[in-house]
Amino acid sequence: MYSSLVRLQNTFGFFTTVAFVIAAFIAASDFASPRAPSVATLKTTSLQVVRGRPHYYSSKKEEYAIIKFSLDANLSSLFTWNTKQVFVYVTAEWPSSGAEGNATNQAVIWDTIITAPSADHLSNLGPASLKKLRKSAAGKSIDPSRGLISLKNQKPKYQITHPSGKIAETQDVRLRLHYNVQPWVGVLAWNQNVDYGRWKRLKGDLSKKFALPALKTKAATTGAAGTGTKA
Amino acid sequence: MLSSLGNPRQAAAQLMNFGLILSTAFMLWKGLSVITDSPSPIVVVLSGSMEPAFQRGDLLLLWNRNLFSETSVGEIVVYNVKEKDIPIVHRVVRKFGSGPNAKLLTKGDNNLSDDTELYARGQDYLVRKDIIGSVQGFIPFVGYVTIMLAEHPWLKTVMLGIMGLVVVLQRE
Repeated sequence: MYSSLVRLQNTFGFFTTVAFVIAAFIAASDFASPRAPSVATLKTTSLQVVRGRPHYYSSKKEEYAIIKFSLDANLSSLFTWNTKQVFVYVTAEWPSSGAEGNATNQAVIWDTIITAPSADHLSNLGPASLKKLRKSAAGKSIDPSRGLISLKNQKPKYQITHPSGKIAETQDVRLRLHYNVQPWVGVLAWNQNVDYGRWKRLKGDLSKKFALPALKTKAATTGAAGTGTKA
Repeated sequence: MLSSLGNPRQAAAQLMNFGLILSTAFMLWKGLSVITDSPSPIVVVLSGSMEPAFQRGDLLLLWNRNLFSETSVGEIVVYNVKEKDIPIVHRVVRKFGSGPNAKLLTKGDNNLSDDTELYARGQDYLVRKDIIGSVQGFIPFVGYVTIMLAEHPWLKTVMLGIMGLVVVLQRE
């Protein structure tokens, strides 16, 4: 028991045990901090369905829906010292009619990544925007104000379609806000439908039902859509 | 070990010990595989397509059972492209339908466009069985050793050489 190799082994073993226990405590601390995110407004401001090709080499044209929306949300309670980033995304969801019965369709129309100040150095912005981002949180290790989102008539990032190629005049479409909290150490968490202890569910995350309009006439939309999902 | 070569019983006991350690490690891995129902329950992030969330070298813990709800939009999943053995970690952005035949589309957070180009020829969407797990937990940096070993194969020889040297030189 006196060789340096055994001592090295013991030290390393102790180091990993301690690191593991600390990581477990950090992960558990996430559950102790309360979360109460809320959405004040989530509504569509403009709806359009156009024809476009999925790739430049496709011969088939498909229908794409462009859903512009306004969003006002307060996600500041999601930012703790263990938060690396919050991935916020808005989906459009609608039930399928006919043969699929209760099947639902969901597609992300817009998303964004909000980094916590401790992870700003990892974000992939250019040097000018990165400087601006770091200045906005100067001196603070946690910045809950980053969780305030206010968008007016926001253009969607993705124009969505259905595998069948048809999306015009779909009924009962709703927008829903989601978030995904990525910690430095621990479990990933999404928005939940029920309250778990100190974590409250997202209030007001569903918009009113709306229907997608019919396809516009050819004259108005030729060349307007370009390639489908590439925004 | 040099001294035990003359004593076959001790050599056999050492060999058995070595075998026991190897098989315990193997069974722990396989056991975890069975519990999570994933062929590879712990993966290392290889590319930067999910930055800034996951950096190269981070370890991801996967879970492949849909106990409470189906795989839905927004989850981060690991999937293999048909006929290729490269696991890709991306987020599900679209889902059409429900059940095992639901069509899923994925996209990396750091990529401008979705994964349609990565799928096999003629395949526009994934289905549930293409997915080998959904990310539940995350440990930073720990997996970087694996990446270094894969990208610099001479490191493997060096490590094995050092281990062999250590075993030969120690007395117990």
